Amino acid sequence: MRSTKSLWLAAISAAFVLLGPTTTRATKHPKYGGTLRVELSVASVSLDPRTWKPGSVAAADYEKLSALIYERLVTLDDYGRFQPALAIEWSHDASFRNWQFRLRPGVKFSDGSLLTPKEVTAALEPLLPSGLQIAANETGVQIHAAHPAPDLLEQLASGRYFIFRVEPDNSLLGTGAFVLAESAPPAPSDANPSVLRPAHLKFRAREDAWSGRPFVDAIDVTLGNPPLRQILNLQVGRADIIDIPPDLVRKARQENLRVWSSPPDTLLALRLDDAQSGTADPQFREALDLALDRDTMANVLLQRQAFPAVALLPQWLSGYAFLFGNPMNLDRAKSLQAALPANAAGGAEPIRLRVDAVGDLMKLLGERVAVNARQANISVQIVPRSGSSTSGNTTAAPSPIGLHLFAWHYSSLSPRVELQALAQHLHSESGAESESVEEPFNPEKLYAQERRLLDERQALPLLLLPEYVGIAPNVRNWSAEPSGTWRLADVWLEPAGSASSSPEAASDRSVAPGVHP
Amino acid sequence: MRLLLSRPLVCSCSLLVWLLLAFFPCAAQSTSQESVSLDDALHQLADRISAIPNFHGPCRLQFLQDSNFAAETAKDWQELFRKDLESRHVSVTEDPAAPVLRIGVAETPTQVVLSASARVAEKDEVRLVTASRTSFRAANLPVAPVRLEKQLVYQSPERLLDASSLWNGSSLGLALLLDREGELEVLRIDSAGAIQQSVPLSAAGALLSRDPRAELSLQAEAVSVLLPGKSCQFTWAAPAETKCHVVKSSWRGITVLTPSCDPGGWKLQADGSDWTTLDLLQAVPENAMQRGSAAILSDFPGPILSINGEQNPSSALVVTRNLRTGNYEVYKITLACGN
Repeated sequence: MRSTKSLWLAAISAAFVLLGPTTTRATKHPKYGGTLRVELSVASVSLDPRTWKPGSVAAADYEKLSALIYERLVTLDDYGRFQPALAIEWSHDASFRNWQFRLRPGVKFSDGSLLTPKEVTAALEPLLPSGLQIAANETGVQIHAAHPAPDLLEQLASGRYFIFRVEPDNSLLGTGAFVLAESAPPAPSDANPSVLRPAHLKFRAREDAWSGRPFVDAIDVTLGNPPLRQILNLQVGRADIIDIPPDLVRKARQENLRVWSSPPDTLLALRLDDAQSGTADPQFREALDLALDRDTMANVLLQRQAFPAVALLPQWLSGYAFLFGNPMNLDRAKSLQAALPANAAGGAEPIRLRVDAVGDLMKLLGERVAVNARQANISVQIVPRSGSSTSGNTTAAPSPIGLHLFAWHYSSLSPRVELQALAQHLHSESGAESESVEEPFNPEKLYAQERRLLDERQALPLLLLPEYVGIAPNVRNWSAEPSGTWRLADVWLEPAGSASSSPEAASDRSVAPGVHP
Repeated sequence: MRLLLSRPLVCSCSLLVWLLLAFFPCAAQSTSQESVSLDDALHQLADRISAIPNFHGPCRLQFLQDSNFAAETAKDWQELFRKDLESRHVSVTEDPAAPVLRIGVAETPTQVVLSASARVAEKDEVRLVTASRTSFRAANLPVAPVRLEKQLVYQSPERLLDASSLWNGSSLGLALLLDREGELEVLRIDSAGAIQQSVPLSAAGALLSRDPRAELSLQAEAVSVLLPGKSCQFTWAAPAETKCHVVKSSWRGITVLTPSCDPGGWKLQADGSDWTTLDLLQAVPENAMQRGSAAILSDFPGPILSINGEQNPSSALVVTRNLRTGNYEVYKITLACGN
């Protein structure tokens, strides 16, 4: 009976082949092959999520590259739906304190070994915050939360919550669609030893990726190239993907480069530091806040490539940021300043502002803050990152700093977690205790906490920056997850002069990958 | 411990199925019981506003919307909300001097956030109502163009690769090839929209590929699935006998439709090469000298992933991904005569 059925199936199969269609296709389809050349400004990367600091701007680049080799338990799609990744099922109890995740069977690390619940536990344990405990079971992992965690999936689908295995030599293995094949630090150039050749990373596509073999064969990443050189490389076809700083976006667009932008994912803000006397005065803080002209900073200094920030969380993450409104009121700022005692901060002694964020643009922004403050008769002096005044005596003890210009990268899809991390950052820098946003999780409580932080003016938000990416014309299927992760495994390259490229080669490449006979 | 199932289990057990009456006379509609509409959420917000102490109006409404779906129906929901408030004894006025009640509708990566803010007795009162983005009901679909008739026959949050129509001699149905949580499956859907059979292909060695090409062919009880580099066959009666073998994939050709009033064929063409852009379906006369001349065009809400002819020579099934909702959709395309 079995052999009869098999014969019949074979006959059906033959019939389908014989009755098969012609060779043309009604739709074009992605092509396999090629090397995607990525250039990033960051000079070095850490592919170990355990070392990333919350809010770190550099960690955003680390996360993008790490997403090539590691995966998370779940991902979030563009439509607000959590999608299975290394976990294929999840469930929680009514209190949202006990979560269970069932792992996708058959997933392998890049060395061919199977992913097990034990490794997931080992990877997440050092990354999860103190209120979350993880344990392995037969088919997956369970996470117990000290407080209800209705936003656990948002947390696990973003940030540093990658699954990896630590090898005896302390290197990390992942299950992602790529594997790190080469890593070269900066080295003297062969042609001119006095010039450093930038660092390189090469990621090779995994033929056995459970999610299907990526379209490109490899991703070649060059680190530390200056932005203008990156733009030139994109123009002349030496790069396919580059990161563009906001102040060069206009130039890139004027030169007809294809520029993609993310939702604003980095906050630039001032942190008020009680180290300098007088900065704790609420009246002084309000005067400074009301003097800041965020619109001009965004529209003139940043050439409309940034957004004025009036809240600590961006609108796309909280959904309520527009309720805060722009506080600028120069007349009131002046009158508040006039009412301060003569020896108050920003009066007889200037407020020292240190630009903690990296880059020339940040220095310009610091100078703009000083200009705005001066318009309200508040004296602000920029000091270099070493801590001493630009005009002061460098041999003297560093003067206390009253203002810090800092950058904060949003890395969590949970607004509660993000606000908590930002509040902790502000409090830890000032040495105060942080109030956590715990359960019951309630959007109005979140709003109230943000309102309180803004009213206390521990930080004064200035601008929100999107991420800008220059993309070569032959790069297809470019997209990013809501978490900011680039979906590089889905990117494919249109062959140069694709009409004349060899269809046989393309066809051959498209047969085998991701499908195992 | 009582466990509540979250997605994707719920999604996978209850595919969102909308089989339109025109295609399946006994169509059934299945929606999630948890789904809410924008109207429901606005009712909740109106309730919260009417409970603010000492807030009775008259107030002037100011709407801020940062949401695609709300923007599409802005006039409707804003008017509805105004009436809703008035029914709760909060009077609304157009007087520019009246205090402002700001109403916001925004989307975050996972939620829809409705906000209301007003100044009452020198104090800002803020009320927020949130709902999961996935619980919101889909808005109405675009209307089909005039001559190239387009009907939505199936919709699913799971990745559909191809669709084929089924005819068992008495009623119509659908066969679907889909990626269900990383596993390839063929579904048999009856005329009422219910899943009659599910045949996983992974056991026979057909694994998921990032390459979206996949074709489903039906002949009576026999089913053939063509994948990049592989072909699988089974019968509905004996799905356990599924066999897969390596082949050099020979993909189906251009689908040609032949309407009753035109003996000449019309080729269906689409780009489908970029998953992030909207697509255009073109019906082009087969004998047209220049590509695109006299073409009939139909917009699609996302990339067209497959086109498959039906038993009826004037119609085909088209699989697309709606880029607004993220759902995969199957449309029946019919080349109708005249206007």
